[in-house]
Amino acid sequence: MMTRTYLLRRIGYSAAAFFVSITITFFLLHLMPGDYITNYFLSLGNTLPQETIQQFYEEFGLNLPLPQQYLNYLINIVQGHWGYSYEYSRPVLSLIWEKLGWTLIILLPATVIGIIAGSLIGAYSGWKTGTKKDLALFNIMIIIRAIPEFWWAIMAVIIFSYYLGLFPLGGYSSISVLYTGIDWLDVLYHAALPTALMAFLIATGNYYVMRNSMISVIGEDYITTARAKGLSEREILWHHAMKNAILPMVTMTTLQFASIIMGSIFIETVFSWPGLGYLTTEALRMRDLPLLEGIFLLDTLLVIAANLIADVTCSLLDPRIRTGDDGD
Amino acid sequence: MTVTRTLVLYISVAILFLYAIIAVFAPLLTPWDPHAISGTPLEKPDALHPLGTNDTGQDILSQLLYGTRITLLIGFGAAILSVVISTSVGLVTGYYGGLFDEIVSRIIDIFMTIPLFPLLLVLALFFNPSIWTMSILMGALGSTHGIRVVRSQVLSLAQSNFVEGARAIGASDFRIMTRHILPNIMPIVVVKFVTSSQHYLVMGVGLSFLGLWDTTTIDWGTMINQAYSSGGVALGLWWWLLPPGIAVVGISLALALIGYSFEEKFNPRVGVNRL
Repeated sequence: MMTRTYLLRRIGYSAAAFFVSITITFFLLHLMPGDYITNYFLSLGNTLPQETIQQFYEEFGLNLPLPQQYLNYLINIVQGHWGYSYEYSRPVLSLIWEKLGWTLIILLPATVIGIIAGSLIGAYSGWKTGTKKDLALFNIMIIIRAIPEFWWAIMAVIIFSYYLGLFPLGGYSSISVLYTGIDWLDVLYHAALPTALMAFLIATGNYYVMRNSMISVIGEDYITTARAKGLSEREILWHHAMKNAILPMVTMTTLQFASIIMGSIFIETVFSWPGLGYLTTEALRMRDLPLLEGIFLLDTLLVIAANLIADVTCSLLDPRIRTGDDGD
Repeated sequence: MTVTRTLVLYISVAILFLYAIIAVFAPLLTPWDPHAISGTPLEKPDALHPLGTNDTGQDILSQLLYGTRITLLIGFGAAILSVVISTSVGLVTGYYGGLFDEIVSRIIDIFMTIPLFPLLLVLALFFNPSIWTMSILMGALGSTHGIRVVRSQVLSLAQSNFVEGARAIGASDFRIMTRHILPNIMPIVVVKFVTSSQHYLVMGVGLSFLGLWDTTTIDWGTMINQAYSSGGVALGLWWWLLPPGIAVVGISLALALIGYSFEEKFNPRVGVNRL
């Protein structure tokens, strides 16, 4: 079982990693030519009198010494004050929450489908390792993975939406939304192609993990024992091999849900889907540093939490994992 | 390795050379300056402009050929930096061990938890990067995994008999590291270099597709972005959108296949699994 020191150590690393991320964002904000408030007013296009600006400086604590400001920044992050977006003139955190929902509409089903499909194909490939079928699958996966995500997305739009006309070209809703309000069936119709594509890409990523895991499992003694007992191949596969080989997928699943930016930025950008990935591209294009930092902090937080959860779940599921040592 | 595998490897290496030649001799292969307006906008392919012109009247073929330079520079530049950092840091920490190793390992543990891609975006936005800063950022931030891989190899090699023997006859630490340990970790370093260059190359094109650097630097990502967002699809101008995409896919595939062949060659366990 999990030792307490191990858990504490993991939590310590996670906290340190988040702390480092916060420090990076703080220094970037403060190293920026001009400061946050000046840039914010510039972005609003205001020409305020000097006294007002001075007053803002004092109220926002920008006249304080740097260590004091740093402390304030830390407290603000913890309390959920993540700054204001230049472009949208809104608190960063509320903007992110709004877009997160849109991302999850395609990310959740895509991850579930992708993980199930990837695990099944990977398990089959690993189980049949060395055969022609395994080799063919493996080579196909290499080729699929070597093609960049945004190129898959563009090709999907061109083939399925432009030439075949099966799906809309992009966006999240038809133009009729202006008169009738959001029609969720219409939204699902728009979400279908990006979801399918993302599921496809997630499946190919999971294929490798599952295949490798399966290959190492079928070399284990308990598989030989199961064979010696005279169990059928089907029974060995589902009851002995699958159960053990699925373990690394726990980590994969958790991390996949967490890496929403990396996972969705290209697909959302190509399909103009109004989620976090698209917001990230917009923030880049508009040079909206506070917004981008907010997105970065959120992603860091999610990935760190996911790592922690995955570690803990894995060691709970599999007592063989030695938790006293960090594996170095 | 089977015959087909070897053949695939040779073809991939040939493709790589072709790209390198195009990058070096780009000015000789096309009469047009990729930045110059050399025709009317959106010309169809003809003898003067084999791939037509884009929406500002720039020659697409010469953009494609010159773009090879930028794309290869970013990919291989970042990969070289990343491999140099991970090999040297991994070598030194793994060989000496002790407190220094402990400190470096802990720092890497912390940095490996931070998601690389969003961090890269934030830094890129802040530094307003040229292609050089971009590839330095990618290479430096992406070296953490490599350091771990090299370090764990060096740890076991440093305990082996031939290192003990070299020390006994009075070889200096530097000599042991460079002459005795380095050759033994070279296979891993080479595999790491090939796989990272594919990774960084695709990432670089992806970042410029997102519009990370200004559009005056023409590479394949910028070209795809322009063609896609300026109506290249809607107008059916396939000669604008497809060539840069096919160019990326081609080199990415070649590098991926070289990487797998090397891995198979240097890592006997993979070979057994695959027969």
